[in-house]
Amino acid sequence: MQRPGYSRTAIIMHWLMAISIFFLFISSWWMLSLPLPSEDYKYRVLPFQLHKNIGITLIFVLGLLLYVRWIHRPAPVEPTAMTPAMHKLAAANHVVLYLTIFVCCLSGYLSSAHSGWTTTLWWVLDLPDWGEESEELNILFSDIHLWTCWILLALVAAHISGAIYHAFRRDGLVRRMIRW
Amino acid sequence: MAIVFGIFLTAMHGNEVLSHIVYKPGTAAVQDIPINCREDELIEEGLSFTECNLMGTTVKNVIVSSPDWFRNFHITLSAVGAVIAIISIVMGILLLDFRAWIVKPAVLVFGSLLVIDMISFLAIVNTGPLLRAMYLWDTLLWALIHVVLMSATMAGQHLNSD
Repeated sequence: MQRPGYSRTAIIMHWLMAISIFFLFISSWWMLSLPLPSEDYKYRVLPFQLHKNIGITLIFVLGLLLYVRWIHRPAPVEPTAMTPAMHKLAAANHVVLYLTIFVCCLSGYLSSAHSGWTTTLWWVLDLPDWGEESEELNILFSDIHLWTCWILLALVAAHISGAIYHAFRRDGLVRRMIRW
Repeated sequence: MAIVFGIFLTAMHGNEVLSHIVYKPGTAAVQDIPINCREDELIEEGLSFTECNLMGTTVKNVIVSSPDWFRNFHITLSAVGAVIAIISIVMGILLLDFRAWIVKPAVLVFGSLLVIDMISFLAIVNTGPLLRAMYLWDTLLWALIHVVLMSATMAGQHLNSD
Protein backbone atom coordinates (compact mmCIF):
# COMPACT_ATOMS: atom_id res chain seq x y z
CA MET A 1 0.00 0.00 0.00
CA GLN A 2 1.30 3.44 -0.87
CA ARG A 3 2.15 5.87 1.93
CA PRO A 4 -0.52 8.62 1.94
CA GLY A 5 2.04 11.42 2.32
CA TYR A 6 5.56 12.16 1.20
CA SER A 7 8.53 10.30 2.70
CA ARG A 8 10.29 11.67 5.79
CA THR A 9 13.39 12.59 3.79
CA ALA A 10 11.26 14.49 1.27
CA ILE A 11 9.47 16.32 4.08
CA ILE A 12 12.73 17.32 5.81
CA MET A 13 14.26 18.45 2.49
CA HIS A 14 11.13 20.46 1.65
CA TRP A 15 11.12 22.45 4.90
CA LEU A 16 14.90 22.87 4.87
CA MET A 17 14.63 24.33 1.37
CA ALA A 18 11.81 26.64 2.46
CA ILE A 19 13.91 28.16 5.26
CA SER A 20 17.01 28.35 3.05
CA ILE A 21 15.19 30.09 0.19
CA PHE A 22 13.80 32.81 2.45
CA PHE A 23 17.17 33.18 4.17
CA LEU A 24 18.76 33.69 0.73
CA PHE A 25 16.13 36.21 -0.38
CA ILE A 26 16.48 38.32 2.75
CA SER A 27 20.28 38.12 2.76
CA SER A 28 20.48 39.11 -0.92
CA TRP A 29 18.47 42.27 -0.24
CA TRP A 30 20.65 43.62 2.55
CA MET A 31 24.07 42.31 1.52
CA LEU A 32 23.92 44.15 -1.81
CA SER A 33 23.62 47.39 0.15
CA LEU A 34 26.99 46.75 1.78
CA PRO A 35 29.98 48.79 0.50
CA LEU A 36 31.78 47.44 -2.57
CA PRO A 37 34.71 45.23 -1.54
CA SER A 38 38.27 46.55 -1.31
CA GLU A 39 41.34 46.22 0.93
CA ASP A 40 39.57 48.16 3.68
CA TYR A 41 35.96 47.20 3.05
CA LYS A 42 35.46 43.50 3.76
CA TYR A 43 31.82 43.58 4.87
CA ARG A 44 30.64 41.56 1.87
CA VAL A 45 33.02 38.61 2.29
CA LEU A 46 31.11 36.57 4.89
CA PRO A 47 27.52 37.20 3.68
CA PHE A 48 28.42 36.52 0.03
CA GLN A 49 30.34 33.36 0.89
CA LEU A 50 27.48 32.10 3.06
CA HIS A 51 24.93 33.05 0.36
CA LYS A 52 26.90 31.03 -2.20
CA ASN A 53 27.35 28.08 0.19
CA ILE A 54 23.63 27.82 0.92
CA GLY A 55 22.69 28.36 -2.74
CA ILE A 56 25.04 25.65 -4.03
CA THR A 57 23.94 23.25 -1.27
CA LEU A 58 20.35 23.93 -2.30
CA ILE A 59 21.07 22.40 -5.74
CA PHE A 60 22.12 19.14 -4.04
CA VAL A 61 19.18 19.24 -1.63
CA LEU A 62 16.82 19.79 -4.58
CA GLY A 63 18.41 16.84 -6.40
CA LEU A 64 17.96 14.65 -3.32
CA LEU A 65 14.34 15.80 -2.89
CA LEU A 66 13.52 14.95 -6.52
CA TYR A 67 15.23 11.58 -6.22
CA VAL A 68 13.36 10.71 -3.02
CA ARG A 69 10.06 11.86 -4.55
CA TRP A 70 10.79 9.69 -7.57
CA ILE A 71 11.41 6.49 -5.61
CA HIS A 72 8.76 7.06 -2.89
CA ARG A 73 5.67 8.32 -4.65
CA PRO A 74 2.79 9.18 -2.33
CA ALA A 75 -0.73 7.91 -2.99
CA PRO A 76 -2.71 10.02 -5.51
CA VAL A 77 -4.57 13.08 -4.24
CA GLU A 78 -8.19 12.52 -3.20
CA PRO A 79 -10.45 13.63 -6.10
CA THR A 80 -12.47 15.78 -3.68
CA ALA A 81 -9.37 17.80 -2.75
CA MET A 82 -8.70 19.14 -6.23
CA THR A 83 -10.43 19.62 -9.53
CA PRO A 84 -8.51 18.26 -12.55
CA ALA A 85 -7.70 21.82 -13.64
CA MET A 86 -6.30 22.69 -10.20
CA HIS A 87 -4.30 19.48 -10.22
CA LYS A 88 -2.71 20.43 -13.55
CA LEU A 89 -2.00 23.95 -12.31
CA ALA A 90 -0.36 22.62 -9.12
CA ALA A 91 1.73 20.13 -11.10
CA ALA A 92 2.86 22.89 -13.48
CA ASN A 93 3.71 25.15 -10.54
CA HIS A 94 5.86 22.41 -8.98
CA VAL A 95 7.75 21.67 -12.19
CA VAL A 96 8.47 25.35 -12.90
CA LEU A 97 9.29 25.90 -9.22
CA TYR A 98 11.95 23.16 -9.17
CA LEU A 99 13.35 24.32 -12.50
CA THR A 100 13.54 27.93 -11.30
CA ILE A 101 15.28 26.97 -8.06
CA PHE A 102 17.85 25.03 -10.07
CA VAL A 103 18.47 27.81 -12.62
CA CYS A 104 18.50 30.50 -9.95
CA CYS A 105 21.12 28.69 -7.84
CA LEU A 106 23.24 27.57 -10.78
CA SER A 107 23.29 31.01 -12.43
CA GLY A 108 24.35 32.56 -9.13
CA TYR A 109 27.29 30.19 -8.90
CA LEU A 110 28.23 30.67 -12.59
CA SER A 111 28.08 34.43 -12.19
CA SER A 112 30.45 34.18 -9.25
CA ALA A 113 32.69 31.71 -11.11
CA HIS A 114 33.26 34.33 -13.85
CA SER A 115 33.69 37.23 -11.45
CA GLY A 116 37.21 36.40 -10.35
CA TRP A 117 36.06 35.60 -6.80
CA THR A 118 36.77 32.01 -5.77
CA THR A 119 34.11 29.83 -4.19
CA THR A 120 35.12 27.56 -1.32
CA LEU A 121 32.10 25.45 -0.46
CA TRP A 122 31.50 25.73 3.29
CA TRP A 123 35.10 26.97 3.65
CA VAL A 124 36.35 23.45 2.88
CA LEU A 125 36.01 22.52 -0.79
CA ASP A 126 37.48 24.76 -3.53
CA LEU A 127 35.08 24.77 -6.48
CA PRO A 128 36.49 25.16 -9.99
CA ASP A 129 36.19 28.41 -11.94
CA TRP A 130 34.41 27.63 -15.20
CA GLY A 131 36.66 29.65 -17.46
CA GLU A 132 38.52 32.90 -17.19
CA GLU A 133 37.32 35.98 -15.40
CA SER A 134 34.79 37.55 -17.75
CA GLU A 135 32.85 40.71 -17.08
CA GLU A 136 30.30 39.91 -19.82
CA LEU A 137 29.55 36.38 -18.60
CA ASN A 138 29.46 37.58 -15.02
CA ILE A 139 26.82 40.19 -15.91
CA LEU A 140 24.88 37.72 -18.11
CA PHE A 141 24.63 35.08 -15.36
CA SER A 142 24.01 37.76 -12.77
CA ASP A 143 21.01 39.00 -14.80
CA ILE A 144 19.70 35.43 -15.18
CA HIS A 145 20.16 34.97 -11.42
CA LEU A 146 18.28 38.18 -10.68
CA TRP A 147 15.28 37.49 -12.93
CA THR A 148 14.90 33.80 -12.11
CA CYS A 149 14.95 34.70 -8.42
CA TRP A 150 12.14 37.25 -8.90
CA ILE A 151 10.18 34.57 -10.79
CA LEU A 152 10.96 32.13 -7.98
CA LEU A 153 9.56 34.56 -5.41
CA ALA A 154 6.30 34.80 -7.39
CA LEU A 155 6.10 31.00 -7.70
CA VAL A 156 6.79 30.52 -3.99
CA ALA A 157 4.00 33.02 -3.22
CA ALA A 158 1.62 31.00 -5.42
CA HIS A 159 2.82 27.77 -3.76
CA ILE A 160 2.22 29.16 -0.24
CA SER A 161 -1.18 30.59 -1.25
CA GLY A 162 -2.22 27.18 -2.56
CA ALA A 163 -1.01 25.46 0.63
CA ILE A 164 -2.91 27.91 2.86
CA TYR A 165 -6.06 27.50 0.72
CA HIS A 166 -5.93 23.72 1.16
CA ALA A 167 -5.07 24.01 4.88
CA PHE A 168 -8.21 26.10 5.47
CA ARG A 169 -10.28 23.66 3.40
CA ARG A 170 -8.93 20.80 5.55
CA ASP A 171 -8.91 18.54 2.51
CA GLY A 172 -5.86 16.58 3.69
CA LEU A 173 -3.56 17.85 0.98
CA VAL A 174 -1.23 19.85 3.23
CA ARG A 175 -0.95 16.91 5.61
CA ARG A 176 0.90 15.01 2.90
CA MET A 177 3.91 17.29 3.48
CA ILE A 178 3.76 17.36 7.28
CA ARG A 179 2.86 13.83 8.37
CA TRP A 180 5.55 11.91 10.18
CA MET B 1 -0.04 30.14 9.24
CA ALA B 2 2.30 29.35 12.16
CA ILE B 3 4.43 27.26 9.79
CA VAL B 4 4.73 30.06 7.23
CA PHE B 5 5.49 32.70 9.86
CA GLY B 6 7.98 30.32 11.52
CA ILE B 7 9.87 29.98 8.24
CA PHE B 8 9.93 33.76 7.69
CA LEU B 9 11.04 34.37 11.28
CA THR B 10 13.82 31.76 11.18
CA ALA B 11 15.17 33.33 7.99
CA MET B 12 14.86 36.83 9.42
CA HIS B 13 16.57 36.05 12.74
CA GLY B 14 19.31 34.16 10.88
CA ASN B 15 19.96 37.25 8.78
CA GLU B 16 19.98 39.46 11.87
CA VAL B 17 22.70 37.29 13.41
CA LEU B 18 24.71 37.45 10.19
CA SER B 19 24.32 41.21 9.68
CA HIS B 20 25.41 42.05 13.23
CA ILE B 21 28.44 39.76 12.92
CA VAL B 22 29.35 41.76 9.78
CA TYR B 23 28.69 45.23 11.29
CA LYS B 24 31.82 45.24 13.45
CA PRO B 25 32.64 48.34 15.52
CA GLY B 26 35.78 50.20 14.50
CA THR B 27 35.77 48.95 10.90
CA ALA B 28 36.27 50.95 7.68
CA ALA B 29 32.76 52.46 7.44
CA VAL B 30 33.12 54.17 10.83
CA GLN B 31 36.62 55.43 9.99
CA ASP B 32 35.22 57.23 6.91
CA ILE B 33 37.71 55.53 4.59
CA PRO B 34 36.63 56.32 1.01
CA ILE B 35 34.88 53.44 -0.80
CA ASN B 36 36.61 52.22 -3.94
CA CYS B 37 33.83 52.82 -6.53
CA ARG B 38 35.31 51.28 -9.67
CA GLU B 39 33.43 52.05 -12.86
CA ASP B 40 33.19 48.39 -13.95
CA GLU B 41 31.65 47.43 -10.59
CA LEU B 42 29.20 50.34 -10.78
CA ILE B 43 28.01 49.07 -14.18
CA GLU B 44 27.86 45.48 -12.93
CA GLU B 45 25.71 46.39 -9.93
CA GLY B 46 23.70 49.13 -11.65
CA LEU B 47 24.85 51.78 -9.18
CA SER B 48 25.48 55.50 -9.50
CA PHE B 49 28.71 56.95 -8.10
CA THR B 50 26.74 58.78 -5.39
CA GLU B 51 24.91 55.59 -4.36
CA CYS B 52 28.20 53.69 -4.18
CA ASN B 53 29.70 56.33 -1.90
CA LEU B 54 26.68 56.19 0.38
CA MET B 55 26.78 52.39 0.77
CA GLY B 56 28.89 52.62 3.89
CA THR B 57 26.27 54.75 5.64
CA THR B 58 23.93 51.85 6.55
CA VAL B 59 26.78 50.02 8.23
CA LYS B 60 27.97 53.24 9.85
CA ASN B 61 24.46 54.11 11.05
CA VAL B 62 24.06 50.73 12.76
CA ILE B 63 27.51 50.79 14.39
CA VAL B 64 27.32 54.42 15.51
CA SER B 65 23.76 54.10 16.81
CA SER B 66 24.48 50.91 18.80
CA PRO B 67 25.47 51.16 22.45
CA ASP B 68 28.39 48.88 23.47
CA TRP B 69 26.09 46.17 24.81
CA PHE B 70 23.74 46.10 21.83
CA ARG B 71 25.69 44.06 19.24
CA ASN B 72 26.30 40.94 21.34
CA PHE B 73 22.88 41.24 22.95
CA HIS B 74 21.13 41.42 19.58
CA ILE B 75 23.16 38.53 18.13
CA THR B 76 22.30 36.33 21.14
CA LEU B 77 18.63 37.33 21.11
CA SER B 78 18.34 36.69 17.35
CA ALA B 79 20.10 33.31 17.64
CA VAL B 80 17.70 32.23 20.41
CA GLY B 81 14.82 33.62 18.33
CA ALA B 82 15.92 31.55 15.31
CA VAL B 83 15.97 28.33 17.37
CA ILE B 84 12.51 29.00 18.87
CA ALA B 85 11.21 29.97 15.42
CA ILE B 86 12.25 26.52 14.14
CA ILE B 87 10.38 24.96 17.10
CA SER B 88 7.35 27.10 16.19
CA ILE B 89 7.35 25.50 12.71
CA VAL B 90 7.09 22.10 14.42
CA MET B 91 4.27 23.47 16.60
CA GLY B 92 2.47 24.72 13.49
CA ILE B 93 2.74 21.23 12.00
CA LEU B 94 1.40 19.61 15.17
CA LEU B 95 -1.46 22.12 15.38
CA LEU B 96 -2.87 20.90 12.06
CA ASP B 97 -3.94 17.76 13.91
CA PHE B 98 -5.43 19.65 16.84
CA ARG B 99 -5.15 17.77 20.12
CA ALA B 100 -5.65 19.12 23.65
CA TRP B 101 -2.10 18.33 24.80
CA ILE B 102 -0.53 20.50 22.08
CA VAL B 103 -2.08 23.74 23.39
CA LYS B 104 0.30 24.25 26.34
CA PRO B 105 3.58 23.71 24.46
CA ALA B 106 2.31 25.76 21.49
CA VAL B 107 1.29 28.67 23.71
CA LEU B 108 4.66 28.39 25.47
CA VAL B 109 6.54 28.56 22.17
CA PHE B 110 4.49 31.45 20.70
CA GLY B 111 4.67 33.16 24.10
CA SER B 112 8.48 32.79 24.12
CA LEU B 113 8.64 34.39 20.68
CA LEU B 114 6.45 37.22 21.98
CA VAL B 115 8.78 37.69 24.97
CA ILE B 116 11.76 37.85 22.57
CA ASP B 117 9.92 40.49 20.50
CA MET B 118 9.21 42.50 23.63
CA ILE B 119 12.79 42.28 24.93
CA SER B 120 14.03 43.22 21.48
CA PHE B 121 11.59 46.15 21.36
CA LEU B 122 12.74 47.45 24.75
CA ALA B 123 16.41 47.01 23.81
CA ILE B 124 15.94 48.95 20.56
CA VAL B 125 14.04 51.72 22.36
CA ASN B 126 17.21 52.18 24.42
CA THR B 127 19.46 52.64 21.37
CA GLY B 128 19.75 55.62 19.05
CA PRO B 129 17.08 57.04 16.69
CA LEU B 130 18.70 55.46 13.62
CA LEU B 131 18.26 51.92 14.97
CA ARG B 132 14.79 52.71 16.24
CA ALA B 133 13.82 53.81 12.72
CA MET B 134 15.21 50.57 11.29
CA TYR B 135 13.81 48.02 13.72
CA LEU B 136 10.92 49.21 15.91
CA TRP B 137 8.03 48.85 13.47
CA ASP B 138 9.12 45.37 12.28
CA THR B 139 9.49 44.20 15.86
CA LEU B 140 6.06 45.51 16.77
CA LEU B 141 4.48 43.70 13.79
CA TRP B 142 6.11 40.42 14.80
CA ALA B 143 4.89 40.90 18.37
CA LEU B 144 1.37 41.38 16.99
CA ILE B 145 1.68 38.21 14.87
CA HIS B 146 2.77 36.21 17.92
CA VAL B 147 -0.09 37.60 20.02
CA VAL B 148 -2.51 36.50 17.27
CA LEU B 149 -0.96 33.01 17.05
CA MET B 150 -1.05 32.59 20.82
CA SER B 151 -4.66 33.76 21.06
CA ALA B 152 -5.74 31.60 18.11
CA THR B 153 -4.17 28.51 19.72
CA MET B 154 -6.01 29.15 22.98
CA ALA B 155 -9.27 29.90 21.15
CA GLY B 156 -8.83 26.70 19.12
CA GLN B 157 -8.76 24.69 22.33
CA HIS B 158 -12.16 26.08 23.35
CA LEU B 159 -13.65 25.57 19.88
CA ASN B 160 -12.51 21.95 19.84
CA SER B 161 -13.82 21.24 23.36
CA ASP B 162 -17.31 22.65 22.50
